[in-house]
Amino acid sequence: MRFFKETHIDFMGKRRTWYMISLAVIMVGMISLAIKGIGFGIDFLGGTELIVQFSAEPDVSQIRSMMDNAGYRNVEIKTYGDPLRILLRTESQGEGTTVADQIKATLQQTFPNMNPTVLEETKIGPKIGAELRKDAFYAIIFSLLAIMIYVGFRFKFIYGIGAVAALFHDVLVTLGVISIIDGITPFTNFEIDQNMIAALLTLVGLSVNDTVVIFDRIRENQKIYKTLSLTEVMNKSLNQTLSRTLITSGTIFIVTVILFLFGGEVNRGFGFALTFGIITGTYSSIYIASAVVLDYSNWRLAKKAKPVMKGKTVYEPIAQ
Amino acid sequence: MKKNRGKILIFLLFTGLSLYFLYPTYKDYSFTKELRSLVGDDSLKYVEQNEEAMRVARLKRVKLGLDLQGGMRVVLEVNVLKYLEDIAKNKDEQFMNVINEVRAESQTSEEEVVDLLGRKLQQKQLRAARYYGSIRDEDDVIIQKLRDETVSAVDRAIEIVRNRIDQYGVSEPSIQKQGGRRIIVELPGVSKEGEVRQLLQGTALLEFKILYDPEIMSKVYQAIDASLAGKPIDDSLNVNKTDTSTTAAANDTTAKPVDTTSTVAQTDTNKPADTSLATLDDQAEKTPEELKKEHPFFAIANPMQQPNQGWSGQLFTIEEDKGKVNRILEKPEIKQLIPSGVSFAWSAKKSFTAEGKNFFALYAVKKEAELTGGVITEARATIDPNFNTPIVTMEMNTEGAREWARITGSNINKQIAIILDNAIFSAPVVRGKITGGNSQIEGMESVEEAKLLEIVLKAGALPAPVDIIQQTSVGPSLGEDSIKQGIYSSLMALLLTIVFMIFYYRMGGTVADVVLFLNMLFMLAILAGFQGTLTLPGIAGIILTMAVAVDANVLIYERIREESATGKTLSAAVDTGYEKAFTAIFDSNLTTFITGVILYQFGSGPVQGFALTLMIGIVISMFTAIVGTRIIFSIMLERGKVINFG
Repeated sequence: MRFFKETHIDFMGKRRTWYMISLAVIMVGMISLAIKGIGFGIDFLGGTELIVQFSAEPDVSQIRSMMDNAGYRNVEIKTYGDPLRILLRTESQGEGTTVADQIKATLQQTFPNMNPTVLEETKIGPKIGAELRKDAFYAIIFSLLAIMIYVGFRFKFIYGIGAVAALFHDVLVTLGVISIIDGITPFTNFEIDQNMIAALLTLVGLSVNDTVVIFDRIRENQKIYKTLSLTEVMNKSLNQTLSRTLITSGTIFIVTVILFLFGGEVNRGFGFALTFGIITGTYSSIYIASAVVLDYSNWRLAKKAKPVMKGKTVYEPIAQ
Repeated sequence: MKKNRGKILIFLLFTGLSLYFLYPTYKDYSFTKELRSLVGDDSLKYVEQNEEAMRVARLKRVKLGLDLQGGMRVVLEVNVLKYLEDIAKNKDEQFMNVINEVRAESQTSEEEVVDLLGRKLQQKQLRAARYYGSIRDEDDVIIQKLRDETVSAVDRAIEIVRNRIDQYGVSEPSIQKQGGRRIIVELPGVSKEGEVRQLLQGTALLEFKILYDPEIMSKVYQAIDASLAGKPIDDSLNVNKTDTSTTAAANDTTAKPVDTTSTVAQTDTNKPADTSLATLDDQAEKTPEELKKEHPFFAIANPMQQPNQGWSGQLFTIEEDKGKVNRILEKPEIKQLIPSGVSFAWSAKKSFTAEGKNFFALYAVKKEAELTGGVITEARATIDPNFNTPIVTMEMNTEGAREWARITGSNINKQIAIILDNAIFSAPVVRGKITGGNSQIEGMESVEEAKLLEIVLKAGALPAPVDIIQQTSVGPSLGEDSIKQGIYSSLMALLLTIVFMIFYYRMGGTVADVVLFLNMLFMLAILAGFQGTLTLPGIAGIILTMAVAVDANVLIYERIREESATGKTLSAAVDTGYEKAFTAIFDSNLTTFITGVILYQFGSGPVQGFALTLMIGIVISMFTAIVGTRIIFSIMLERGKVINFG
């Protein structure tokens, strides 16, 4: 059984078009990020968060007015996976965990008949929030650096640059798409928390995985087909690995979609980021990572081929 | 077959080991299942019958993270600045200004609080010696001293927290030090937040209490035992009326004065008491069951009287029975038998171990504390130069020293317990009256024991305040939901992947699937064997590992198909396929592994769980997907079987 017969697609020929498309997608995502943004999760924000289970569907506006009356700052109220489960979040922190205790008491008073029980309670101090944000930032930067060094060392330096350019592309596109989808359905409430960072890093790992497989084939083919240009070698390699790329991405895609749909509330954002990330990761291995390497090599070749001769006028043949 | 014998053996060995490591998890699961099906007395009986086996299984199973089983995770931070403020002398306005500036700057700065304080003092041209140490000390010497002080303050805070959690009785608590001054406490299955917070944050209470008269306690315990056995209680034992003997002794000031650095010897073998626990004399001839019936109390709380020696008033109980003894002592009909001036306290650490059981000592002490830890100015564990044995020296302030002289003077040859948060760390015997406040405690078994006592004595004197900076508590029902969803989605992903592989790669796919099972088995076994913790993101990591493992096989099989297409024989195609796919698999997995390492380094809690399973998974899958499938194929090829790759 075989989905793909031998293919001869000219991947590299249309790379300029795809650059433009990628750029457009990133721009749209960035605009959405700038305007709409993605909220930080409790672990990065700091504050107090409660997940409360009610025995009957509570009126969210009533909860909101309750919180307002109690004087909590910047309260966020949303359902948590199930209409009976409500997530309450406030920036207020107070000494120790007093805020959570007060909210619990107020809930008991306001909804005595709906038996509000706290399923999960989190309090994060402001310092921890700031630290986790910093750690997350470093984690992403360091992994990109480490990947650049490793790939650059195993292949050539420009390959490392190409791989990292693809990863930047993946992270930006995924963040943009998350920002656009965020809040559109009650099923897709996303936020940037530690799980999301973990998803982004995993996506980085899986995407570079794909890129490396392609690079590996390019390296191999360069040794075999010494007379072919890099463009031709790349197209050949991409066609040869296409089947594997799509099968692997396909199986990972199945797995992450399942995580997204059935993995529970905690894994949902994680699953979505990965699901989308697999698509862009597969695409970027071809149209960003390989294409960047190709364009750089062509530029180097052009520089070498055309030494500037000072003070000499020459006739150049026009290519037919 | 022959050339692969070594590899096959390794695989069989790993599979065997994995089953061995996972067996407790299976046992634990079946115990829990069995328990759920039982109700009321049946379940209690079941627990009693299988107590030991259940405990062992629980200890060795795959641990579940707090997000899966419910519980609390608290991150505490020792407030070093507050501590430095507390121990400073001559606090003037200038000093308070500096403290406030340091507080503001420490919010954003990476610098150690002590260094920050040192720098600020220098900037303001204030000498550290003015507030700490003595005037002759150099400033850097003082700052270095303060640095040491804060380190030991953090250790003290950890010891206090550990002690309290031990007393509270949480199963499998985890207490870790993170960085210089953070303590991460994980309490699985705990839901009473208020209590726990109190437990973690309240100030440590160090008390000195005199042990209750063993003669009276011996009668009390016999009465309790008789009452539990349903026997009539001798009227003369109505101890509530005999609570006078000790008050007389307290006023006894005629004890002869001794040196200022008197010694308090720590020995549990003390003056012979003529009240023996006669009822236990004939225990040797009875079976444990009979003994249990006749002496229900002493069967679990053993006085352990040494022949020809007095009884110092302690009962010894194995760790598992501590709760039972507490419950007995709380019963209203038993409480009537206990003098009103008595309170009970357990030893903080095990007293001794016998037959694999840890025994704790139960002490009866006077309810009123003689002295609290606030009077202690210094405590230090050292080695006695004369006898080369570990000792602890203790100094008190003037007020404390005066009281201490009175207390020791009137309680010569009695034991005074050192109690931190209601746990007894030591109960030395008073050798003589101690005036001047300098005491020495001897008789410790090891330097560690002395060091611990030093920490305990200081804990009462210089409390290091701790702040809760992060707290997460997950209810058990949310945890159960998470497990269900996690397992449900893993199985679904596994099933779909397996079906696809068979469908797409036929025989090759089937072989890959078999190996995939081994892969999952090895992963779970490694988690169990290395006491790793499975979290919800960890489950996501396992699912992703499957995808990575399958990818390795996809790479190989695609390569084999390509090689076959060039007209190679099956055996040659398989060989080249594996060979050529290897670098791609290795490089690509290594980059994923690198991100795993970085994630583990920077993430916290559940995210680390994810990174850990991902890293384990990558290593294992390289092994199973490359070596495992290869072995199966070469065996099949040797036997002349035709393998199709779809």
